[in-house]
Amino acid sequence: MDIDFAELASLVALLKEADFSEFRYEKGDVRIQVRRGALETESTAPVVSMIPSPKTAVHVAPAAPLPASQPAAATRVSAQTVPGASVIQAPMLGTFYAAPKPGEPAFVQVGDRVESDAVVGIVEVMKLMNSVHAGIRGTVVAVHVNNGELVEFGQALFSVQEDSA
Amino acid sequence: MTQRHKVFVANRGEIALRIVEACDRLGVDTVLGVSEADRDTLAARRAGQTVVLGPARANQSYLSMEAVVHASVVTGCTAVHPGYGFLSERSAFAQLCADNGLIFVGPRPEHLDVLGDKLSARRVAEAAGVPVSPGGPTTSGEEALVLAERIGYPVLVKAAFGGGGRGMKLVHNAADLVAAWDLASSEAAASFGDGTVFVERFVQNAKHVEVQILADQHGHCIHLGERECSVQYRYQKVIEEAPCAALTPQARERLHGYALKIAQHIGYVSLGTVEFLYDVERGDLCFLEVNPRVQVEHPVTEAVTGVDLVREQLLVAFGEPLRLRQQDILIQGHAVELRITAQDPEHELRPSPGRLKKWRPAPLGGVRWDTHLYEGYLFPPYYDALMAKVIAHGNDRAAALQRLRMTLQRLEIEGPVTNVSLLQRLLDAPDVVSNTVTTRWLEVALHDLMGATA
Repeated sequence: MDIDFAELASLVALLKEADFSEFRYEKGDVRIQVRRGALETESTAPVVSMIPSPKTAVHVAPAAPLPASQPAAATRVSAQTVPGASVIQAPMLGTFYAAPKPGEPAFVQVGDRVESDAVVGIVEVMKLMNSVHAGIRGTVVAVHVNNGELVEFGQALFSVQEDSA
Repeated sequence: MTQRHKVFVANRGEIALRIVEACDRLGVDTVLGVSEADRDTLAARRAGQTVVLGPARANQSYLSMEAVVHASVVTGCTAVHPGYGFLSERSAFAQLCADNGLIFVGPRPEHLDVLGDKLSARRVAEAAGVPVSPGGPTTSGEEALVLAERIGYPVLVKAAFGGGGRGMKLVHNAADLVAAWDLASSEAAASFGDGTVFVERFVQNAKHVEVQILADQHGHCIHLGERECSVQYRYQKVIEEAPCAALTPQARERLHGYALKIAQHIGYVSLGTVEFLYDVERGDLCFLEVNPRVQVEHPVTEAVTGVDLVREQLLVAFGEPLRLRQQDILIQGHAVELRITAQDPEHELRPSPGRLKKWRPAPLGGVRWDTHLYEGYLFPPYYDALMAKVIAHGNDRAAALQRLRMTLQRLEIEGPVTNVSLLQRLLDAPDVVSNTVTTRWLEVALHDLMGATA
């Protein structure tokens, strides 16, 4: 193995600041793979079963206005839901996956527009993959969960600024 | 314990709280799985961690085997305690736990299978040399007539396969038997794909007695005496006590022996209860069924034996050898449990959920409360009506009953309609005081009891 450890260290330092769930690096026969969140088995590529989720979208009553700093359109995961925005909730308890397969881009990111039938994530329960549909139309303004995390029933996954009717 | 354990509590209400408490005292971490409707329960506050399994409806939360096992694995639990009801007797669930490296706090899946089916459980009892109710499976009306003639009327006619009391018919004479048999057979064929009909003697005046057993994985099996639960309303127990004061010492010894024989015959492991009917007129005991889990009424046994049954159940599940021996089990005094439920006794015990405006149980010596209630709690409409169990322990039966009268008198409860007024009348009912109640008594007596001063 001819890995330059200094190079690797700087790479890791860079990654520390970046927002990602999986990183792959290939150079010659050197392959580096870095993941955040829970481990997934490579071989079992999620088969997306289209189970209709009854009501994934629930309006969150605009609670007490938050202090000045409105969460900007960053891709960072935020715990706070966005005032005035609607929330896409987990339709069941399970492990949340943001992308269709490890290494692939996330279904949605902050700033993306979603239609109500759009798949925004996967919730895995005992190896059964369940698609999560947006259920609402609008723009994603916040992501509330990390890839590979346990999500509970009803947990907020995304905040979406709905298109005005 | 060599391994560090973490227990997933797959239940709700008072029993979830009871399991969390037992784990706390063992120094074992807990994760509680709740439905969306149970986020604000006392158990959710007490557990180390709480996860929302699904919506209020039990079949998508407490009964979702996948959600419970997934949550248990992901939260790093080593064992799952199913409590009573819900998933506690599902062999498929016990198997799923095993397949995912989780300890199911209960018996082995194959025992849940064999004990969960009426006919196979009966065969186990017979093979162990334990008397069962006279009767058997029949495949024709003529066969049923011959059998009924031999065992004597009245008889119960029911589907041989499939559980519950559904479709049971009481037949008093030969003239009615064939028609009842035909109906039961066609129903059974339609529902279960098998037209076999079970015919058994109907015991008019039976007391419900049950023996608490406890067995470890190393071949030790003990009993912790018996309980009596004859005050029932449509198979729902209302008052339970330990010991059963109506048994002669000889009958008691036979009863305990029968329970151990059944457990030992199959190599049962875990906490369990073997239920029997005690025919007061004939003095006969016959096997009813095995409940392979912790029971609602377990505290009366804890009161008279001083043994923490949930703790022992967890330890044997973890593989610990039982430290108790039969000679360690001594019965002291008498304990009686009342089930306080959100049910209206003026209207045939219909459920009455709602918010608890006032909840002030008075602390009294010798009285234990197992309850998840608190003032302001919204008692939900989705689950069973049990609000609290109050258990009084006294030197004798009369002393325990007297403590319960005082306890109910001092209880302040407002909000949902409860059965407390019925419980108060039961405690004063001559048949209860003299202990002559049999299992069908309350169904007949309810109206008179409630009408007396209404």
